[in-house]
Amino acid sequence: MVAPAEKLTQVSKGKNPAEDRSGLFDEKFLKTLEHLHMVSRKVFSGNLRAERRTRKVGSGIEFADHRTYSRGDDFRYIDWNLYGRLDKLLLRLFEEEEDLHIYILVDVSDSMSIGSPLPKLHYAMQVAAALTYVGLANLDRVSIIPFGDRLMDRLPLSRGKNRIFRVFDFLQKCPIGGKTELAECMKDFVTQNKRRGLAVVISDFYDPQGFEQGINTLRYYKFEPFVLQVYDLREASPKLHGDLALVDCETGETREVTVSKSLLEAYEREHEKYCKELEAYCTKYAMPFFRTHTTIPFDELVLKIFRSGGFLR
Amino acid sequence: MSFLGPIGLGLWTWVALGAAALAVSAYIIKMRRRRFEVPFAQLWKRVLEQKDANTLWKQLKRLMSLLLILGILGVLLFAALDPTLGAVDREARSVVVLIDSSASMKAMDGDEAGKQSRMDVAKTRAKGLVDSMGGGDLAMIMKVDGQATPMSRFSNDGPMLDKLIDDKINASDTPADLPRALGAAADALRDRKNPLIVIISDGAFPEAQLGQVKWGGPQLPGVKPDAAKNLAQVDLSNIDVRYIPVGRRSDNVGIIAFNVRRYIANKAAYEVFIEIQNFGQEPAHRQLTLYNGQTPVDTRRLDLAPGQHVRQIYPKIPGGEDNQLRATLRPVDGPGGTDSFALDDTAYALLPARKKQKVLMVTSDNLFLEGALLVYDNIDPMKVSPAEYAAKPAIADDMDVVIFDDYTPDALPQPPTSLLFFHPTGEHSPFAIKGMAQNPHITEVDEGHPVMRWVTMSDVYMDRSEVFAPDSKKGEGTVAFSVTDPIVVAKRDGRRKVLAFGFSLPANGRDSATDLPMRVAFPMLLVNTLDWFAGDQADLLTTYATGHRERVPLDGVVGATEADVQGPDGTITHTPVLDGLATFYGQKVGYYDLTAKSGGKAIASINLAANLASASESDIAPSTSLTLGGKKLEAPEAFAITHSQKLWIYLLLFATGLIVMEWVTYHRRITV
Repeated sequence: MVAPAEKLTQVSKGKNPAEDRSGLFDEKFLKTLEHLHMVSRKVFSGNLRAERRTRKVGSGIEFADHRTYSRGDDFRYIDWNLYGRLDKLLLRLFEEEEDLHIYILVDVSDSMSIGSPLPKLHYAMQVAAALTYVGLANLDRVSIIPFGDRLMDRLPLSRGKNRIFRVFDFLQKCPIGGKTELAECMKDFVTQNKRRGLAVVISDFYDPQGFEQGINTLRYYKFEPFVLQVYDLREASPKLHGDLALVDCETGETREVTVSKSLLEAYEREHEKYCKELEAYCTKYAMPFFRTHTTIPFDELVLKIFRSGGFLR
Repeated sequence: MSFLGPIGLGLWTWVALGAAALAVSAYIIKMRRRRFEVPFAQLWKRVLEQKDANTLWKQLKRLMSLLLILGILGVLLFAALDPTLGAVDREARSVVVLIDSSASMKAMDGDEAGKQSRMDVAKTRAKGLVDSMGGGDLAMIMKVDGQATPMSRFSNDGPMLDKLIDDKINASDTPADLPRALGAAADALRDRKNPLIVIISDGAFPEAQLGQVKWGGPQLPGVKPDAAKNLAQVDLSNIDVRYIPVGRRSDNVGIIAFNVRRYIANKAAYEVFIEIQNFGQEPAHRQLTLYNGQTPVDTRRLDLAPGQHVRQIYPKIPGGEDNQLRATLRPVDGPGGTDSFALDDTAYALLPARKKQKVLMVTSDNLFLEGALLVYDNIDPMKVSPAEYAAKPAIADDMDVVIFDDYTPDALPQPPTSLLFFHPTGEHSPFAIKGMAQNPHITEVDEGHPVMRWVTMSDVYMDRSEVFAPDSKKGEGTVAFSVTDPIVVAKRDGRRKVLAFGFSLPANGRDSATDLPMRVAFPMLLVNTLDWFAGDQADLLTTYATGHRERVPLDGVVGATEADVQGPDGTITHTPVLDGLATFYGQKVGYYDLTAKSGGKAIASINLAANLASASESDIAPSTSLTLGGKKLEAPEAFAITHSQKLWIYLLLFATGLIVMEWVTYHRRITV
């Protein structure tokens, strides 16, 4: 008989503490969200409008560019003045105005249940709720999609900040657990969502298969990935020693180790290296990347996101 | 290197193997590990893969940890074998060092200047002997004076034995009992390999003691065969006995006897006897002073030729105010005035108490009896008739002695009143009567009995006598026999003494006849009897000799069960009291206070005096050689100094260091 494993973090045995999300979005949290919204309006007022523009060129009223006429184009958009001067048929292009779609993908796998005093999942949900609230308040269309080894039931695209309580309810009740299958989930996501937009991925990115394929899938399908990595300080610098059997919380894989100081240091280096790899990958492809641990207040992270630009335009 | 493990090496081997097996098992058996849940085992896997590159080193470290534990076990077991590092040039010996601590070892002739005693030199020799022991040698120190006292167990702890010799060995005031010490040493060495006894002494032992040894094997020349068969002899078979002499000079004049005796006729006066001997090889001159308390009674000069005995008698010395007598010898100026041994220059004695005994005669006008008692001044006589006594027996209650002349009361007076019977009869007789002898003749007397001292009764006539049946289990003994019939018997009845003559004295109206009252022996017999009743040897107050166990009569003390004896140096010893006799062992010369107790309460105090009184001890001439049982003892072999060192403490420290190292390296994850 195998003895139950102790969590790396201080969690009680048996019930997953991340399951209890009843106190996650209280009145204080709401006030914090409102504060975030107000701050975003003041500090980033130059970029704030109710409307967002996509890069899609279409039937808007604001001139964007010319392109060579090709058969089948609408004659109405041919720039006859230029034809007179240049003797070339060029078509006028306009920026098409449409609502911005924000997809917030929250990792709810077992590895996100670890963390002390706050499980990473709770932290991720608070950040997700905060971003959702700001998005809703800016009249963007926001959808929340939990994922683990598959995509869970989603919160459909919503607009208007009066929808925030529905968001809370969704986050509190959505199922959690399972392994992390980032690549498969992102593949499913891009298949199910034809409307491009921001894809905010909140996860620890502890996927044995790697994080690259999943993020790349978003890029390939013209989504704008927004990468938020959440980790717990004790998983970055665990306080372990002696002869232990380490059990992977997702795969159940057991590995017997004798933890020495040098081994711990090697692990810390490896964890840092993993995180740096993720950051380097995102930087390489110009994707916004944020790394945070659970002891940093979520509102600080959100403000940091705002300051970096990209989320609020 | 030698080992002194109390357990056999074979057993140690098994213990070592068992411990090693346990240690190896502990390393082989996997401990149940604590389980910890981690979010991403992939990272640990990567780290461990890098670490696995060092697997060989890791296993080597683990092997090192096992070897370290095995090393600790090995060191501990090795320490348990008690290894000793040192040069062992011979087989290990068991040595009993007998250090003569008798009085003669106080002689101040250890060095030429006379500043060191023989005891000091003996200690130095003993320590030298101990320090030169080989690595496997074991020594026991035994003090030899009037007793044989082992001061240690067999040990090779040189510093401990040296300290013991310094602190615990001192010369006493008693002669040495060499046979007892040899017997104790032989018993201690029994079944030990290479037994050796080393006697460090001045050799001042009586010849009789030197003969109480047998060596086993063929009879040595000059030793009597019957003596060799004496079971009292000490068997020194297979034991090597060596002798280390100490002492330089023999110039000593000592008091070897000092006694006081009271006169039979006038017990208020005393006669003192002093015996002095010059043990030196040169003429000696001394001043002898006799003190009563602090008052000099007599001073005289003695000029003694080498070896000369002098007996000095001081007659008719009045009792004086103090009952303590002391005799001292002082060297006079000039040649022959030096003395190396001071202990026998002073002797102590006590004057007996002067007390008149109350004597009650229960008789019908017996002139022979009354006339004989008249010669004795130290009694306070009183006479009643049998009828008067029968009417009032309580009259005997405060009497010291009651004499029943041809009368046997129904009930005997209560102790401690002593009783003298002439012709007791009937069932109330103090001794059982088994018959009547006609015309008996006294054929045998117990000459050792105090009553019979200086008395001849071989021709005494009597026409008949009761024959007693003394019961030895009750302490009843026969003083005089007629062939085999006890006709004079005596006993101790607790504190009281009882003497009975089977025949009656002649008197008016008696048909029996004896000529005893007409003999000189009769008054002597009565005086002896009354003196015996008063206390053993009351007329000759022998001073007790140190180093001998004596039985001291507690005269006039009734009901004592124990006694405390306080010596001249203030030490108090407890001794039991049986039948009115206390056991006394004098360690020091001088006066002793004996306090008799009953139920823990002091009821009487008696003074005692003890002297060396040993010519063999006063004869301090050192013997360069010693012959025991006809065998001359050799000096010990050259005890070449060998350095031996006990290793167990260092091994223990080393093992502790290893354990600490293992603990630190384990918890620092160096050896895991």
